[in-house]
Amino acid sequence: MTTTSAETVLRPARAGTAAGTATVRRGQGFQHGGWFVAPFLALFALFVIWPLLRGLYLSFTDANISGDGASFVGLDNYREALQDPLVWDALGHSAFFTLLVVPAITVLAFLLAMLAHHIERGTWLWRLCFFLPFLLPSTVAGNLWQWLFNPGTGMVNHVLGLDTPWLTDKSYAMLAVVVCTLWWTVGFSFLLYLAALQGIPAHLYEAARLDGAGAWHRMVHITLPMLRNITGLVVALQILASLQVFDQAVVMQDFGTGPEESTRTFVQYTLEQGFTSYRVGYASATSIIFFVLIAAVALGRMWLLRNREEGGR
Amino acid sequence: MTTAVRISGRRPWTPGQIVLTLLGAAVSAVILAPLVWALCTSLKSETEAVEVPPHWLPRHVTGQAWSAVLENGNLTDWLVNSLVVSVCVTTVVLLVSALAGYGFARTEFRGKAALMGVVMTGLMVSPAVLGVPLFTTVQQMGMVDTYWGMILPQCAPAAMVYILYKFFQGVPRELEEAAFIDGAGRWRVFFTIILPLSRPSLAAVGIFTFIGSWNNFLWPYMVTNNPDLMTMPNGIATVMNSYGIQWAQLMAGGLMAGLPLIVVFVFFQRQIVAGVAHTGLAGQ
Amino acid sequence: MGRPGLNRRQLLAGLGGLTVAGSFGFAALGTGADALASGADTRVRYWNLFSGGDGYNMIAMLDAFRAEHPGIDVKDSTLQWGSPFYTKLAMAAAGNRAPDLGVMHLGRVTGFSPGRLLDPWDVDLLAEYGVHEADFNPALWKRAVIGGELYALPLDIHVQLCFYRRDVLRKAGLLDADGRMLSPASPDEWFAMLKEARGATGKGLQTIGLWHNDQNFQWWFFVAFYTQLGGTWFDAADTEVTFDTDKAARVLQFLRRHVADGYANPDYGGGAGAEQFVNGSPFCWEGNWSVPVFDSAEVDYGATPLPPVFGRPATHAESHAFVLPHQAGRGGAADEAAHRLAAYVVTHARQWAAGGHIPAYTPTLSTAAYRALKPQSEYVSAMDHQATEPKVWFAGSTGILAQRVGPIVVSATTGSARPEAAARRMRSTLTELLATKNPMDGRTAAQGGAAA
Repeated sequence: MTTTSAETVLRPARAGTAAGTATVRRGQGFQHGGWFVAPFLALFALFVIWPLLRGLYLSFTDANISGDGASFVGLDNYREALQDPLVWDALGHSAFFTLLVVPAITVLAFLLAMLAHHIERGTWLWRLCFFLPFLLPSTVAGNLWQWLFNPGTGMVNHVLGLDTPWLTDKSYAMLAVVVCTLWWTVGFSFLLYLAALQGIPAHLYEAARLDGAGAWHRMVHITLPMLRNITGLVVALQILASLQVFDQAVVMQDFGTGPEESTRTFVQYTLEQGFTSYRVGYASATSIIFFVLIAAVALGRMWLLRNREEGGR
Repeated sequence: MTTAVRISGRRPWTPGQIVLTLLGAAVSAVILAPLVWALCTSLKSETEAVEVPPHWLPRHVTGQAWSAVLENGNLTDWLVNSLVVSVCVTTVVLLVSALAGYGFARTEFRGKAALMGVVMTGLMVSPAVLGVPLFTTVQQMGMVDTYWGMILPQCAPAAMVYILYKFFQGVPRELEEAAFIDGAGRWRVFFTIILPLSRPSLAAVGIFTFIGSWNNFLWPYMVTNNPDLMTMPNGIATVMNSYGIQWAQLMAGGLMAGLPLIVVFVFFQRQIVAGVAHTGLAGQ
Repeated sequence: MGRPGLNRRQLLAGLGGLTVAGSFGFAALGTGADALASGADTRVRYWNLFSGGDGYNMIAMLDAFRAEHPGIDVKDSTLQWGSPFYTKLAMAAAGNRAPDLGVMHLGRVTGFSPGRLLDPWDVDLLAEYGVHEADFNPALWKRAVIGGELYALPLDIHVQLCFYRRDVLRKAGLLDADGRMLSPASPDEWFAMLKEARGATGKGLQTIGLWHNDQNFQWWFFVAFYTQLGGTWFDAADTEVTFDTDKAARVLQFLRRHVADGYANPDYGGGAGAEQFVNGSPFCWEGNWSVPVFDSAEVDYGATPLPPVFGRPATHAESHAFVLPHQAGRGGAADEAAHRLAAYVVTHARQWAAGGHIPAYTPTLSTAAYRALKPQSEYVSAMDHQATEPKVWFAGSTGILAQRVGPIVVSATTGSARPEAAARRMRSTLTELLATKNPMDGRTAAQGGAAA
């Protein structure tokens, strides 16, 4: 395989002169196209489409974890879910978490990227430092911050001279999860911003400098507009990821629901219903509701993007 | 790369640069402090670790937590399991998503557009969203508490197909057409021309998949209950050794779980950064 | 070494290929490294939830068993206690990958769908290994029998206790002639004692640790004091809620006062209460499993059942029991070894009593060795004053009942809800649960979800 890469460099010259390429391509493609996507589609059908359809079916039944003896109950599960205060609480907790994490992470990632981009020496070192926490498994990050927030022996309170009951008071418990999440995941968005910053053509800045624009002016009129797309991406990815928060929250609360159930997220509630209360039918209904919600967010972003592109033209 | 250019030019230390560098160092210190604290804790005895008020440096450095964690055996089993699962997932993902990305980008078949639309819905499905139905599916297949039950559901990432699809769309058609004229078939073109060309993209997808799989908690947590089969993140969170929470050991275990990726990162930083940025940016 | 670059690349490619091949091979074998390494004839996979002091004792007992039965390889795994454990056990049983032997709380057995997620014990085989019904408290044994089959083999009874430090209480004048804690007969007497004790307590220490923000402990304490007041849950047919909100409000008020009057420091809920106790705080309410913790810390302490402040003594009690998680092909060597192991541990439970638990195997209780154990002998009376959860499918340690009602108790204790309002919420939750069908068989508690 290593030798062919050299050939490929030479070949383009001949390609243009070839006649009838379109027909060749069409013929070849029609023959084999399906086979290229078949392995993926098989896995995709088994582990994405089938669970989706199965979840939809189960959500109309009272199925339990043992997988037998389910009977059809119509819309009962959905009716119950919409009236279940715990569903709304859990949704509220996930939304609250998202509301705190998304703006914080976006701003922090941007600032870190600006910092790393403008320091002239040792870029690799800053990149390493800022990105490092992201390489840890979520459960390790959760355990670490549980330890940092531990009453009495926790370093956070010790260093800051505080006496805050981070993990045991309902007004702080979710905040503790947010802090852990910021530390753990900001590196990913940071890298996206950094890549985007490095992708801004240098001549834009040089032109502005020649026009006598100051640093602030350059940032507002060049940097920020050039980062608009990446900001949209960061925000969208963070919203989708934050709504699905689970790992850190349960680990920091020893798989419980936090003080007065203040850290029970939507994912956690669904899993409790399915695997602790064995109500697979009901859990499927809440899953489908969640899927619709996630899909709405994703489609909303696509719609915004399309509108913006059309507006731009 | 732009960074390389900037580093090579030997610029003087301006006051602005000094301030920025100090600021960077301070921020780095804050970000790394929790890890340093974990390391310090892991080098203390269990009783020293829970002393109130806490202190940073161990008064008596001891490797007991590390040796206890290593001797216990669970942790090494989990490391092996993590490696097995991540390698298998990465291999399968690379293979099927490269084929599918190419198939969608460069071949024609009936219903392609519709299928592409269906695949896009896959971007919204994850074990966090559809974990319960996914579990019952895997249960039906008899794959609960097996390696395959952990591996296969991680092997259909629509996002990776989409990224490679975008990449393959950017490959000049002329390259292939020349080969077709020479009589090469689709498969030969794919393996001898397209794949070597797309090595950076494949590396990005592979690295991203590997990190994701290595650190994946939710799905392995749902589908594995047998501690022998657990991966590192799952085992650390759900199985304790029989002596209760021992923070020094927990920190040692956590660092051990994080260490392989950190080492890999230090050595392959440029590829990984490009990989993460690339996979992320492709979603724009 | 003409082209080192190429060699290195070949080496890397070779290594990579080996890793990939090895990984797929390992995954195909499918049993994990530990099982591969095991050379024994029979391997028993045994899951438990014992951490802390119980962990030490269980491992010691397993080691003794291993020494006597070298042909049997016991693979014990301790999982995170609480609902994760039951979730894992249920999912493993549902996925037909269950371990050979497990431990559960007896109160959970009814809701764990005997017959579907659990397999019955072979009583004859147990008898062969020395376990007979006659050697158990009849009420306890009966709780483990469902539909005529034995689904759980009781190991112990464990209770909630009031631990006290002799050194501090002596200074406060709260010990009787035998050096035991005085027994308060009303909440006021109890708080008077706390006040005295606070005066004798060192600086920076709270007076009592009672897990005020832990939904399990708070629920257990509630059950204990509510039972002391003679409160009931449901009628005999499990059709009506008989929960008394006035009594409940009195209990909640009582629990709340510990925090409101500053005896329990809001910063030291949870495990910090035990740490404070070791450091010199006079009281803590803990499960009897804390006995070895305080023993090893060499604290001068005693332990009584929770104080009978509402007149009639009662303290919360549960029971650990061995179960056989459902396996489609149960039977064979591993199953027999599971019977043998469970029987061994149950009949050699004196070691287990060192963990503070009261052994279920009654011959143990009458031995001199057991009677010499302190403070176990001080609270063995708790066995006669058990406060238990109602016997319905949603009850049991960390079960649905505790998960739903526990947080309400916590909200009252921590002061974020008024006791009266919390009591009403508890009642409406109980009403709701009673009408709820057990997802495993589609029947409500009244329709026979509670065969016990």
